[in-house]
Amino acid sequence: MSDPSITSPTAQVSMAGDHPTPEDLVLYAMQLLPADQFSEIDRHAAQCPHCREELGRVLGDLAALAITAEPALPTVVARDRLLAQVARERKVVTAPASKSVAPSETPPASMPAPRPLADFGRGKGSTLVPEPDVISRGRPNFGWAGWAVAASLAVVSAFLYHDHRTVQENLALQTGEMQRLNARAAESHQLLDALTDPQAVRVILAPKAPPRGPVAGVTYTPSKGTLVFLASNLDPLQTYKTYELWVFPANGKPAIPAGTFHPDEHGNASVIMPILPKGVAAKAFGVTIEDAGGSDKPTMPIIMAGA
Amino acid sequence: MRFMDKESGVATMPQTAPADDAALLAQLQSGDQRAMASLYDRYSRLVYSVALRVLREPATAEDVLQEVFMQLWRTPDSFIAARGNLGSWLAVVARNRSIDALRRKRSGTLIDGLPLVAPGNVSDEAERTTLMERARVTIQQLPREQRRTLEMAFFDGLTHSEIAEMTGDPLGTVKTRIRTALLSLRKAFRP
Repeated sequence: MSDPSITSPTAQVSMAGDHPTPEDLVLYAMQLLPADQFSEIDRHAAQCPHCREELGRVLGDLAALAITAEPALPTVVARDRLLAQVARERKVVTAPASKSVAPSETPPASMPAPRPLADFGRGKGSTLVPEPDVISRGRPNFGWAGWAVAASLAVVSAFLYHDHRTVQENLALQTGEMQRLNARAAESHQLLDALTDPQAVRVILAPKAPPRGPVAGVTYTPSKGTLVFLASNLDPLQTYKTYELWVFPANGKPAIPAGTFHPDEHGNASVIMPILPKGVAAKAFGVTIEDAGGSDKPTMPIIMAGA
Repeated sequence: MRFMDKESGVATMPQTAPADDAALLAQLQSGDQRAMASLYDRYSRLVYSVALRVLREPATAEDVLQEVFMQLWRTPDSFIAARGNLGSWLAVVARNRSIDALRRKRSGTLIDGLPLVAPGNVSDEAERTTLMERARVTIQQLPREQRRTLEMAFFDGLTHSEIAEMTGDPLGTVKTRIRTALLSLRKAFRP
């Protein structure tokens, strides 16, 4: 990562001939270099086909590494939330900017492809649907009246189409907002269920020795695999460390990681609705201190526990 | 059966889905929300899995999931089908965004313009599982220090200097371990 706060271990990027070393290219691809070294390789790679080709291979390697992650499914709410956001940021199809509307043309058929949202409002890609620029040239011959009527109809059609689009856009806006509200309501309902379910197990976790120290509470519903963890008075941790919550199954199976967390400046922290298997009765809950990113197994000692 | 990429020399699996991805991306550029839903259904599990592996916090992982797909929706041009495999691209972007979330900052976007050489076709769930198993076996067979160093760098987002500080290993050793481990992974996908 190109983090200016990261201390550069060396003054500059190591070079292998005219190119950065393969090791530094890997760190660059992983975005783990200090800002100055990152920029240096960035500038070099922009001009160097050889390094760009190697970086492409490294990114492929990283993709292979990424897919080793344990498969997990996001919640349905996440899908609804995304599609609601997509609906809110829908891409508007623009009308022809200056082309005259021929009598034989219909507005929908002549619409150009919509532009990316990022281009909206930038001149050529403006979202403002321009009014049809119909050129009605007077023709003092026999067909004048017919063409005038046809042109008028085309103008009316274009305006009607514009109105129709406006109504459709407003409807899409309303639909997107409804989806967003529904998604939030579903999330809130799920959280409320977890907190109020009569089957939920509520356990207070406290340190064994000092009377005044970190305290935490767990609300856990085994049948649904829902868990809410709230803690306070937690000590801050080093950058490379993290707190991790564990569920210890009653059947004696290995502890289940239930999320990592860092306390805020007041020592408060929470783990809300981590993904847990359903139907696992818990014997106890515990908190450990792990290396950044967490662990698959709890590292002793367990600093907070409750059963 | 695998094929050799003519330009890169890297082995790739038969690419059956990229055409579908390309079609969906084209529809995405036209603002087709159904195409977005299709791409989400195809790749959300992959993106979320990577984010969850890095962050270990489902809520934050879902935030990253949302961010990655909104990036795809807003700027589908940032990925060009010819440059690689959309799934692989999303997997790496998910990792980078997750590391950003860990560090609470936003990093560069170097991946956008680079021709990613995909390890295989990850759009197909069954094939992705095959690739995953092969990669996992390779990772498990790495020397312990190599594997640990690679995972600390990739999944925990620790810099080589941070890793060196934690492990007590020289900086050069850390760098070499990371690259050597990645090369082993690359070799696993050669015919």
